Amino acid sequence: MPLLAYIDPGSGSMLVQVVIAGILAVPFFFRRTIGDGWRRIRGNGHKDPTADEDASAKP
Amino acid sequence: MATKTPPPTRTPPLSLDGAEVDPASFRDPAGFVFRRDGVLYRQIQPPAAADWATFLSSGLHERLVADRLIVEHADVSPAEAALPDAVAVIRPRVLELISYPYEWSFTQLQEAALLTLDLQSRALDAGMRLRDASAYNVQFESGYPIFIDSLSFEVAPDTEPWPAYRQFCEHFLAPLALMALRDVRCGLLLRDFIDGIPLDLAAGLLPWKSRFNLGLSAHIHLHARAQRRAAGETRPTAKGGRTGRISATGQRALLDSLRRTVSGLRVEPAGHWADYASTTSYSDAATASKGEIVRSMLVLARGRTVWDLGANTGVYSALATQTGYRVVAFDQDASSVEAHWRHVRGVRNPAILPLVMDLVNPSPSMGWALRERRSFLDRGEPDVLMALALVHHLAIGNNVPLDQVAELLARIAPRAIVEFVPKEDPMAQRLLAARPDIFERYTIDGFRDAFGPLFRLVRESPIADSPRTLFLFDRRESAVRS
Repeated sequence: MPLLAYIDPGSGSMLVQVVIAGILAVPFFFRRTIGDGWRRIRGNGHKDPTADEDASAKP
Repeated sequence: MATKTPPPTRTPPLSLDGAEVDPASFRDPAGFVFRRDGVLYRQIQPPAAADWATFLSSGLHERLVADRLIVEHADVSPAEAALPDAVAVIRPRVLELISYPYEWSFTQLQEAALLTLDLQSRALDAGMRLRDASAYNVQFESGYPIFIDSLSFEVAPDTEPWPAYRQFCEHFLAPLALMALRDVRCGLLLRDFIDGIPLDLAAGLLPWKSRFNLGLSAHIHLHARAQRRAAGETRPTAKGGRTGRISATGQRALLDSLRRTVSGLRVEPAGHWADYASTTSYSDAATASKGEIVRSMLVLARGRTVWDLGANTGVYSALATQTGYRVVAFDQDASSVEAHWRHVRGVRNPAILPLVMDLVNPSPSMGWALRERRSFLDRGEPDVLMALALVHHLAIGNNVPLDQVAELLARIAPRAIVEFVPKEDPMAQRLLAARPDIFERYTIDGFRDAFGPLFRLVRESPIADSPRTLFLFDRRESAVRS
C-alpha cells in the first residue's frame, strides 16, 4: 500500500476484488479480443457502442 | 470557537493567520483546501509531491480539463501557502453551488458514478489511479458532473487491487441499487451514512431478485459477505494489506463490470408530484397570467441567480432561465427532481440544477464536528428566491405559522417572489379536505402581516382568473442576521 492510502480499503474488499476481477477477466478478455476481431473483419471501425456512452454526452 | 492546543499531527488547524482551512478537508495528508480573503486555494503537501508531478507531467490533468471532467485551476505562488513545506499551491475555479449526494436524484448520482469510473479508467491509462472514490468529489455544474478533487490521483502499478473499490461500492453502487430496486427515497440514506451505505445493510435491504443481477451479486452481496468474513478473522491485517495481485486485464474487467452494473440500473419517475403539473387547477388564462407576472417580477428583481423552492418539475425554473437567471431548483420529491433533471438534460438547459431538498427538514450541518457538510442555509445566497405554490404546503400541510415561513425565506435570499394561495383555492381545499381547519390566521391579510416586519413589499399582483396573488418582496436590512 502506498503511503497515502488514507481511506480504509477494507481487507475483505481487497480480497473479494481480486477474486471478482480474476473471474471477470476471462469473459472480458474474450469479449474484447473477439469484439476487436469482429470489428476488424467488418472493417468499418465501429467502436463498442457502450464504451463512449457518457463521453459522447459531453458538450 | 474556543482555541485549544493544536493537535500534534500533519492536520492543519482550522484557522491559520488569515487562512481558513475548509472543515471538510482534514482527512487527507496529501493536501488541504483553505480560503484567504474569500479566495479558495488548495495546498499540496510533501507526501503527494511525486503524484502531483506525475499528474501534471503525464498530461492526464490537461486531458481531463480539456474534456471538462475535472475543475481547472490556476497555479499561484507557493508564498500563498497556509502552512510551510507546500509542494504547490493552486487556486481551483470556484463553483457556484456545492451540493451533496443526498441531494441528487438517481440519474445525477448515476452520472457522478460513471464520471468516477471514467476518471479511474483514464488514470489507469496514465499509470495512475484514483486514491478515493468519494461521491463528495463530484459536483454538478452547467448540466454535467465535474470532479473537484485534483489531488485524488496517485501513481500505482495496475496490478494492485483498487483501494477505493469499497468506497465506490458504498458511495455509489449501493445507494443506486437501493434507489432502483427498492425505493428511490433510499437516496436519503446517504444523509445518515455520510461515508456511503454499509454493504451489509444494502445487501439486507435489497430485494432478493437483486441476486440475479450479476454485478450486484458480486459487488454488493458477495462483497458484503467477504467483509463479514474478514471482520470475523482474528488477525485481520496480519498480512499487512497484501491481498494478492490483479492482472491489468482484471483491473479493466472490474471497471467494466462496475460501469455496466451502474448503467444497467434504472428508475422511472412516477409519483404524486411528478404528475402534479398536469393536475393543477389552473385555467389557461391563470397559467398565462402567472407566467407573465413571475417573468416581470424576475426582471424587476434584477438578479443573476435564483433558487426555485418547491420547483416541482421546473416550469418556472425554465421561465427564469429565459430572463437570464441561473437556477437551482429544489424540490422535496425525488421523483420530481429526477423528472426535472431528465428534462433539463433533454432540452440541454445548463442553467438549471435540480436538487432534492425538503424545506420542512432541509439538509443539516453534519459530519465531523458538524462542520464537514454544510447545511442548506450555509451554501451561499442566491440573488432571488421563488416560492410559488409553496407557502400553503408549509402553512397548511405542515402547520408552520406564516411568520415562521417568512423568517425562513428571509434567511435564504434578499429578494423573494412568493405566491399566496388562499383557502378557497381548490389546491388549498385539497389540503384541508381531510383535516379540521385550524388555520384562522391563514388569510391574505395574515400573510401580509407575517411578511411585513421582514420584507418590504415591492409589488403585489393578483393572478387573473384565480384567487391567488403573487408578491415581490425586498428583505429589510433589519431582517439580516449577523
